[in-house]
Amino acid sequence: MQADMKALHKMFMSRNVTYQHSHGRPMSCPATAQLLSNTLYHRRFFPFYTFNICAGLDEEGRGAVYTYDAIGSYERTGYSCQGSGKDLMQPVLDNQLKAASPLVLPPRNSVTELPLEQAVDLVKDAFVSAGERDIYTGDNVEILIITKDGIKREELELKRD
Amino acid sequence: MARIVAGSQITDAEYMRDISLGTTIIAVTFDGGVVLGADSRTSSGTYIANRVQDKITPLLDNVYLCRSGSASDTQAIASYVQYYLAQHQAELGGPVRVETAAKLAMQMAYGNKNMLQAGLIIAGHDSSGGSVWAIPLGGTLLKVPYAIGGSGSAYITGWCDKNWRAGFTREQAREFVRAALRHAMARDSSSGGCVRTVVIDSNGADREFIPNTKLPPTYGELAAPA
Amino acid sequence: MGSNGGGFDFDLCKRNALLERKGMAPPKAWKTGTTIAGVVYKDGVVLGADTRSTSGSTVADKNCEKIHYIAPNIYCCGAGTAADTMNVTAMISSSLDLHRYATGRQSRVVTAMTMLKYQGHVSAALVLGGVDLNGPHLFTIFPHGSTDALPYATMGSGSLNAMAVFEAGFKEDMTKEEAMALVAAAIRSGVYNDLGSGSNVDLCIISKEGVEYLRNHEFLMAKTYTRKFPVTYAKGTAPVIKEKLIPLSAVDVTEGAEEAMDTS
Repeated sequence: MQADMKALHKMFMSRNVTYQHSHGRPMSCPATAQLLSNTLYHRRFFPFYTFNICAGLDEEGRGAVYTYDAIGSYERTGYSCQGSGKDLMQPVLDNQLKAASPLVLPPRNSVTELPLEQAVDLVKDAFVSAGERDIYTGDNVEILIITKDGIKREELELKRD
Repeated sequence: MARIVAGSQITDAEYMRDISLGTTIIAVTFDGGVVLGADSRTSSGTYIANRVQDKITPLLDNVYLCRSGSASDTQAIASYVQYYLAQHQAELGGPVRVETAAKLAMQMAYGNKNMLQAGLIIAGHDSSGGSVWAIPLGGTLLKVPYAIGGSGSAYITGWCDKNWRAGFTREQAREFVRAALRHAMARDSSSGGCVRTVVIDSNGADREFIPNTKLPPTYGELAAPA
Repeated sequence: MGSNGGGFDFDLCKRNALLERKGMAPPKAWKTGTTIAGVVYKDGVVLGADTRSTSGSTVADKNCEKIHYIAPNIYCCGAGTAADTMNVTAMISSSLDLHRYATGRQSRVVTAMTMLKYQGHVSAALVLGGVDLNGPHLFTIFPHGSTDALPYATMGSGSLNAMAVFEAGFKEDMTKEEAMALVAAAIRSGVYNDLGSGSNVDLCIISKEGVEYLRNHEFLMAKTYTRKFPVTYAKGTAPVIKEKLIPLSAVDVTEGAEEAMDTS
C-alpha cells in the first residue's frame, strides 16, 4: 500500500539518522536489515501493508539481499523478488541462479554469482518478461547497482499497456 | 483454477450489477388525451451507461409505457406486452383499449413480482378518452388522473400535488410534465440528461425531445454555454 | 501506537476482527476487463477492441480476437467470460446462417440483437454493429439482457476511458478515416490506462460495400529489452531416461483425405 510504504520509509529514515547520532557511524547492511525486521514486527497486529527487499554490501563487502514478509520475518538470500509479479519472476530467478539444494550436506553456497553485466542483463529480462504477463507490472523499471564504488542508478522503459 | 476470460471476469461491481433506470417518469391526463414524460438517464452504479435512453416505449399506436426500475426487466415486460397486444389487436380487428394494455402489463408485473424490479406507468387514448394507469413495484393496477414514478418522483410529489389541475389543456399538461421533470432531474442524481414527452390524443401520438442544453437552468445551476 | 513497555500490543485485535467481520479484510479489488467500442459513421459502423485476455491478474493471451463474426454484414465485440462471448456469438451466427438459407435475405442487425439478449445468466457484455437494409446500426447488450441503440458505444472495464474519448471527439456523419481514428484512440486510452486492457488494437469496418477486418490494426509496443547473455542449455541437460520408437509403418496414416459431410 502506497501510504504504508511512505510511512515506513519516513520512519526508517529517521531511525537511520538517530542511529548515526548515537553510534557515530553509518548503519551496516545487516543492521539495517535487522532494524527493518524490528520495525515491521513492532506492528505485528496492525501491519504495514508492504513487501520489502533490503540489499547492500555487508561488512566483508559482499553483496547481501534480505527478503521480508509484511510482519518482519526475514532471511538473507542471494536473490529475491516481491510484489504482484513475484509468482512469475521467482521461478525464473531460481532456474537461472539456484545451484544445488541448500539442504545438501555438507552445506554449499546455493547461489550462482554472476558478473555484474550478466546480473543486470538478467534483472532487465526478468522485468520485461514479468511486464508481459503481469497486468500490475509496467511503465518503467528502476535498477540500483550497489558496489564498493557507490550506487549507480539505471532506468529501463517497460511496455506501457 | 481461474476462468480464462476475454478481458477478464466481468467484475461483479461493473457488469453483474443490473443496469437500472434510476428515473423520473410521469403521465398526466388532460381534456382529450394524455401526456407522458421521462428523463433519459440510465445508470450502472455511478456510471451513466446511456444518457439519451428512451424510457417511453410504444405498446400500440395509441398506448405508451413509461419504464422505471431494472432496464432489462422492463424491456422484457414491454416486449411481451407488445407481442400479446399485437396478437389481440389482430384478433379483435380494431383498436385496443388502454385498460386492456394496462391489465396485461399488470398481469406480467404481478405474476412475476418476485423476479422483477419494475415500476410502470401506462397511458393512452381510446374511445373513452385519455387515461393513465400506474403499476408500482408490487404489481397493483391503479387508474389515476396523473402518475409519477421512479427515484426522482420523491422530489416532486409536493410540487405535483400543488400544481396539478383537473381539466388541463393539451399545452398546459405538456408544460406541467416538462416542469415536473426539470425539478426532479435537478435534485435526483440518478435522473438527468434530456427530457422526452409524448402527447397522445385522438390524432395519435406526438413525440417531443428536449436536449439537455435546451433545458432552462434551475436554481444554482449555470446555463449551458451557447 | 501501543505501549513501549515491550511485549505484544493486542489493542487493535478486537478492532481488526470487527473490520474483518464487516468484510474489510483483504484489500483486493480486482478491476480487470477489456476495452471494446464502436461508432456509427457516414456510411457504416466501425468496431474496435483491444487484444488482452486475462485470468486473474495474469495475462492469459496477449493477442486474442474479441471482434466476432455474426453474419457477412454484422460483427460483434465481446467482453466478459471468453467462453461465453465466443459461444454465444457462434450460436447466433449459425442460427442466422440457417435463417438466411430459409429466407434468402440478408440478416438484420436487430435480429442478431434480439437473439443475443434474453440469453441471461451468460456473462457477456456485447457491442453489436452492422449494416442492413435500414442502414448502419450499433447496439450494446448487457449481461442481464438490457439493450441500447446508440451512435457510439463502449463496453468492458476500459469502457469509461474509451467513452471519455468518444464524448470528447464524436461528430455526426464522420468519414471512414475519422471514425477509424476515433475508435483506435478510444481503444488506445483503454489499453494505456486500464490494467485489464492491453496489447494491440483490432478494428472492423462494416459498410454497405463490405467488411474490412483489420486484425492488429495498431501494434502499440514491442518488448523493450532482449537479453544480451541468453542462457543456452547444452544438449542432454534433461537426461533421456527411456526411449521408444514407433515406426510409421506400424501406424495407420491417412493423408489429406477430406471427410465427407454427414448428410443423413
